[in-house]
Amino acid sequence: MEKIVLETIGLTKRYGSVTPLDHVDMQVREGEWVSIMGPSGSGKTTMLNLLSLLDTPTEGRYVLDGVDTSTVNERERAVVRREKIGLVFQQFHLVPYLTALENVMLAQYYHGMIDRGDAAEVLARVGLSHRIGHLPSQLSGGEQQRVCIARALINQPAIILADEPTGNLDEANEEIILDFFKELHAEGRTIILVTHNPELAEFSDRVVRLQHGKVQ
Amino acid sequence: MADVKGVGMTRGRMFLLILFKSLKVRKNRVAITFFSIMIGASIITALASVYFDISAKMSRELRAYGANFFIGQKAASESRTSDAGVVKDAMALIPSDKLIGASPYIYGVVRLDLGNAVLAGVDFAGMKKLSPYWQVEGKWISVDFDEDSCMIGKTLAKNMELKVGDSVNVIRNETGFQRSLVVKGIAETGQAEDEQIFVNLALAGRILGQQGRVNHAMLSIVTEGTDIDALAARVQAEFPGLDAKPIRKVSHSDGRILDKIKGLMAIIAVIILTVTTLCVMTTLIAIVSERTREIGLMKAIGADDRDIVRQFLAETLTIGLAGVAAGMLLGFLLAQLLGQAVFGSFISFRMVVLPVTLIPSIAASLLAAALPVRMAVRVVPAQVLKED
Repeated sequence: MEKIVLETIGLTKRYGSVTPLDHVDMQVREGEWVSIMGPSGSGKTTMLNLLSLLDTPTEGRYVLDGVDTSTVNERERAVVRREKIGLVFQQFHLVPYLTALENVMLAQYYHGMIDRGDAAEVLARVGLSHRIGHLPSQLSGGEQQRVCIARALINQPAIILADEPTGNLDEANEEIILDFFKELHAEGRTIILVTHNPELAEFSDRVVRLQHGKVQ
Repeated sequence: MADVKGVGMTRGRMFLLILFKSLKVRKNRVAITFFSIMIGASIITALASVYFDISAKMSRELRAYGANFFIGQKAASESRTSDAGVVKDAMALIPSDKLIGASPYIYGVVRLDLGNAVLAGVDFAGMKKLSPYWQVEGKWISVDFDEDSCMIGKTLAKNMELKVGDSVNVIRNETGFQRSLVVKGIAETGQAEDEQIFVNLALAGRILGQQGRVNHAMLSIVTEGTDIDALAARVQAEFPGLDAKPIRKVSHSDGRILDKIKGLMAIIAVIILTVTTLCVMTTLIAIVSERTREIGLMKAIGADDRDIVRQFLAETLTIGLAGVAAGMLLGFLLAQLLGQAVFGSFISFRMVVLPVTLIPSIAASLLAAALPVRMAVRVVPAQVLKED
């Protein structure tokens, strides 16, 4: 039986009388590609923030790779974030004054071990070996997203959490990024993708649909 | 790509790389912070240099600041010394509530390791009160019966290559006296004392073969409300063999004005530090506000609060130290302008100015960083990363 990498039990987030996420139970197995879909306001972003430990639930539990994150303090949450989660953002979010290589090394820096060679290798893998010394402003949107993916991969995280990774890209770049995700999935990586895009979701093993904060 | 393969990098080097690149990318704001700290530090350096030099400078300009009364042999007298007991009795005529400090003196020439020098026997407790403006490196001799230590004037110490803690042989051929004394303090007086060696009165008497004798006594008497000429007349009347006279030098009211000037300088320094702190704080707040997304990203990829605090404090300290270093140089030049304008002479560099400038300036920079760093730590990644 495949290992459960991620499990939420009654995961709930409330802001006063508003409940953007309401008792969500979800399990993701190792190597699985799960897409979370839903219309605007369905709770996708809240779900992603909770799964990436950027926010804390009001209620419920979230177990990631054997760690019950509901019981850890803020410092330990940072440790879980850097060791177990690789984040891919829609807006890429690269540090503007660091080169592509240094942006990848930044994730290594917070993780604890820095290896230029490894960072360069991951960038080569996403087809950017010729751009490692460039600043984000000197890279196209597609290239910036590839740097973002390289940064997410560098610490061998337990899960890759991607938020609309092709949302800011043209069709050609969207295809390149999609191919990466297919490749990562084929390698056995666990991927959780939040997207509006059904074309992206169709390659996933399973789609979790959210509506009014609940799993449909 | 081969040039980067397998090449490791320490966390320290990566930290410095992030630090300097983040400073480089914000040249304008960094420059504002740097110049704020530099101007603050330069004014503090200038004020502190003048502050610590002003008493010595005043004494150089106006001879002695301190003793204003002399008791000794009459000029016409054949003997250069008086009986110590008689002088002591004459000193006792000065009302104790009017007496700030007093010391008898006995002088003679002795041989030290590298040459001859004037040896002065004094009462150290009285001397300390008499000469509060002396800049002493090391310590004052605090007990009267200390016969193993000496104090030495700065010029003499330099000529004899002596430092605090060194031993010096004191030899008087006439008496056959020889003893090794430890230099307990080196005094910068701005006067002839800079070239003298000081021991306690009893020891000096034995070295010079003048036990129970003194050359004269110097006293510091409160001038306000005191008829100092009447005091002199009274001493002379009771001790006809002695000469007693006031010395017209800087009065204590002048000294009090000096203290007020020093106080004013301290207040100005505090105001400058406060303004610097506010200016630096405003700039750092602007820097943090500009960087909320970057901070959010750092947290999202694994930075904890300590990483964020370290990053911002290191940035502030780097700018702060550079600003203080530049400010000290500029401040010392400014002190020269003040010295020239006020005293017509240069202000000496004093080591004490370094910590007096560095510690408050860096403390002000860190205080200025406290609020911005708190803001940075409180950045919520989920909020800032979603903003377009």
